[in-house]
Amino acid sequence: MMPARVLRIRSTPLRLTVILSVIFTAASLACFATTFFLVRANLTAAILSDMQQTVDTFGSTADLAELREHLTEAAVTTDPAYRILHFLPDDGAVIANVKRAAPVSGFAVLPGSDFATSDRPLAESYQVRSLRIGDGQLIVAQSRDSIIEMAEVFAAAVLMGLLPAIGIAASAGLWVARRTQQRIGTIQTALSAITSGQTAARVPGVAGRHDDLSGIGQDVNDMAAAQEALLVSMRQVSTDIAHDLKTPIQRVSVLLDQVMTKTDLSAAQETLLLRAKDETARIVRTFQALLQLAQIEGGAARDRLTAVDLTDIARDVVDFLEVDAEARGLILTTDLTSDAIVAGERQLLSQLLVNLIQNAMLHGGDGGSIQVTVSTGPDGVTLVVADRGPGIPEHERSKVLQRLYRLERSRTADGNGLGLALVAAVCTLHRAHLTLADNAPGLAARIDFPKPPSGTGMFAEGPHLPQ
Amino acid sequence: MKILVIEDDAATGAYIADGLREEGHSVDLIASGADGLVQATIGTYDVMVVDRMLPGLDGMSVVKTLRATKNATPVLFLTAMGGVDDRIAGLHAGADDYLVKPFAFGELSARIAAIGRRPKMQDDPISLTVADLDMNLLTRKVTRAGQIIDLLPREFALLEQLMRRKGRVQTRTMLMESVWDIHYDPLTNVVDTHISRLRAKIDKPFGSELIETVRGAGYRINVA
Repeated sequence: MMPARVLRIRSTPLRLTVILSVIFTAASLACFATTFFLVRANLTAAILSDMQQTVDTFGSTADLAELREHLTEAAVTTDPAYRILHFLPDDGAVIANVKRAAPVSGFAVLPGSDFATSDRPLAESYQVRSLRIGDGQLIVAQSRDSIIEMAEVFAAAVLMGLLPAIGIAASAGLWVARRTQQRIGTIQTALSAITSGQTAARVPGVAGRHDDLSGIGQDVNDMAAAQEALLVSMRQVSTDIAHDLKTPIQRVSVLLDQVMTKTDLSAAQETLLLRAKDETARIVRTFQALLQLAQIEGGAARDRLTAVDLTDIARDVVDFLEVDAEARGLILTTDLTSDAIVAGERQLLSQLLVNLIQNAMLHGGDGGSIQVTVSTGPDGVTLVVADRGPGIPEHERSKVLQRLYRLERSRTADGNGLGLALVAAVCTLHRAHLTLADNAPGLAARIDFPKPPSGTGMFAEGPHLPQ
Repeated sequence: MKILVIEDDAATGAYIADGLREEGHSVDLIASGADGLVQATIGTYDVMVVDRMLPGLDGMSVVKTLRATKNATPVLFLTAMGGVDDRIAGLHAGADDYLVKPFAFGELSARIAAIGRRPKMQDDPISLTVADLDMNLLTRKVTRAGQIIDLLPREFALLEQLMRRKGRVQTRTMLMESVWDIHYDPLTNVVDTHISRLRAKIDKPFGSELIETVRGAGYRINVA
């Protein structure tokens, strides 16, 4: 059961969309800004050249009286909202189209409020130049309103044009990202279902589409189909072998039974027959263990994992095997935490524990003790079975988990070389981590079970079996 | 009991049928699933032994069909497969018990006896008595000849299992299943050790043996 997929920045399509949106916005803004500054530079140049012309006109007048006449005429005809003229002679009255002008020297940009008229409106901002002409100080202020208007137009353009464009691009991008994410999500869901053993899972909706994602989906489906076919044929082979070989073995044991019921057997004959029966039983056990390993590795039992208490299982198994340990002169001790809940299959976990403890009893040396520990931690439940025997050399630790591998010194001991392979297979099925470590002396088999997934499914009641 | 055996392997079928007849049962042996289903429907049986792999209609389908027609005759599945998955699938299909090939005849016989005469659930007794051995299930007190016997919980459970089915053989696997919930082969004869500990407490001090070893099968607590 996958949780509802939410868009996270971990999602590649969303990340790409966000990056594209940011690039698009930045490029558009840069474009707007460049245009804005170019236009403003042009407008400023035009204003300055206009002002220069005015100044030149007055500056070229050599005669002072004529200058005053020109200025007076200009002051009357010039709209101060367009251009302010203010001439303060060294002696005499001010000639101006405004009542007041700010004291200024050289070039400046001043707001309209620095000037005053009796009744006429002024511009918002002025490009001001103050210079000496003839026998007085001339202030020429040229309206900058064209620039301000241009800035307003640009602001409006950004607001009305760029923002909706970004909005549309982002939402379209998000939509595409979401759709792509959903399609990737279905591939991921199918893949994790397949890898967890549900080989019938497929990526939906890949037929009839020809893009890359559908291609990947199709490849995943092909892979799953191949895996499923392989698994089916493997199961079929196991079943066939099981049936075809076990039936003759059954017949052999039937025949042996029939011979056994004959009363005129000598003691020697009976001993031989019993040995033959033992060997038959041994074939069956090894055979059964191999079949079971194949089944566990098939992973079908993963659907059947329920919440089980490992401590309960450990208590039962220890209770069962304790008398055996005592008979061998071993002490079986436990340290069990309550509520060690794992997502597991009770019979397989019980068998795992039996195998580990029996392994410790068989190979853990004479005397000494075997300690079974179940503890809980923030990352899940840990099971440790530790003995004080000779242990396993480090380079052989991974090999003993392989089927039918046996250490040189234990070849003569009981066992079929499948016990630890089963432990490893059950661990894999439970997504638990198995470590064989040095117990100095002895072997400590440690299994870390992951925290059971909280929520649905896993904690549903397991199948109830009639006893 | 009247027992129907559906088994396609002639040797195994004859072995089962002969053995059961020797024990005094009346046995019909059928070699195919379809014929077996017909026979099961027209005849009345106390127990059926069904092989899971049969030519034509397989054992699972036979049992499923019978259960669908409200036929409640106890069924024991025989199978070559022995995984937990197979056991669960078999029990879900409606089988009452499950036995993996190859099996000892004693195991089959004990299991047939167990499912053929299942104790009724409603008469849950307060105490169990065998000869001079008494077990109170409420106080969990066990006495023999008036003497209190201290039993560990697992010894109590083991004795209870034997006493509840007094006179009937309990195989080692049946005891492992009911007392320790172990449904796989733990490759150990530790049940024998448990029984010998129990005997040391309830039999040895009293001179007479109540728990009997049945050769090739298991254990039985005797009525007399």
